[in-house]
Amino acid sequence: MIFHYIYITVLIILSLMVFACLIRAIKGPRIADRLMAVNMMGTIVMVMIAVLALMLKEGYLVDVCLIYAMISFLAVVVLSKVYIGIYEEKRKTAEDSDTDTSANVLEKGDMSHGNH
Amino acid sequence: MEITDWIRLIIGSTFLICGLVIFFTELFGVFHFHYVLNRMHAAAMGDTLGISSCLLGLMFFSGFNFTTLKLALIVLFLWCTSPVSSHVLARLEVATNDNLDAHCLIYDDLQDLEAELAASGNNDQIGGEA
Repeated sequence: MIFHYIYITVLIILSLMVFACLIRAIKGPRIADRLMAVNMMGTIVMVMIAVLALMLKEGYLVDVCLIYAMISFLAVVVLSKVYIGIYEEKRKTAEDSDTDTSANVLEKGDMSHGNH
Repeated sequence: MEITDWIRLIIGSTFLICGLVIFFTELFGVFHFHYVLNRMHAAAMGDTLGISSCLLGLMFFSGFNFTTLKLALIVLFLWCTSPVSSHVLARLEVATNDNLDAHCLIYDDLQDLEAELAASGNNDQIGGEA
């Protein structure tokens, strides 16, 4: 019975911490802030699932926790790579448009020079 | 309850409270610092030390069975993956921040950093490498 009260208390404290992480994820000014907060939420939710597995005496919930760890790691890595790719692509298109306009100017200058 | 149950309860709840304190420290650091690369240091601490302390407490609660083994597997997995995800996040921040030099000192050439480190007094280490 004492174990049950301990589990309930720990779950309440951890849920408050998850809300604090959510506030960080909403407030975070940069993308890395949000991804970091999501990673922290994943960690805290993993502890919550492990506590639930012992509280309900269901061993398979620990397997769920392991899968959750894998998917949380995968989400952070894939989202980081995707955002890096989006940023590189955006910068490349900006550079391409810049070089295109400058090349046009150069060609025009050459043509006018040749005509001259 | 028997005496072994009481011992398990005391040791396990001590580890669990340690883990909760570490999580609280992590949250305090994340709200206290002002930049992502500083916050990441606090966040990575909870990913490894906080969850391993919490799950160690839960292992003492659960006794000696397969659930304990799986909890240890989760801790091992997080010890391997948490530095990787922190590294990837730091690379994301460095790659997408245009004015990074407002927050930290940037060296264009790595040899400049090494020369400055050698000049600043780490003489024995650099001399040992040379």
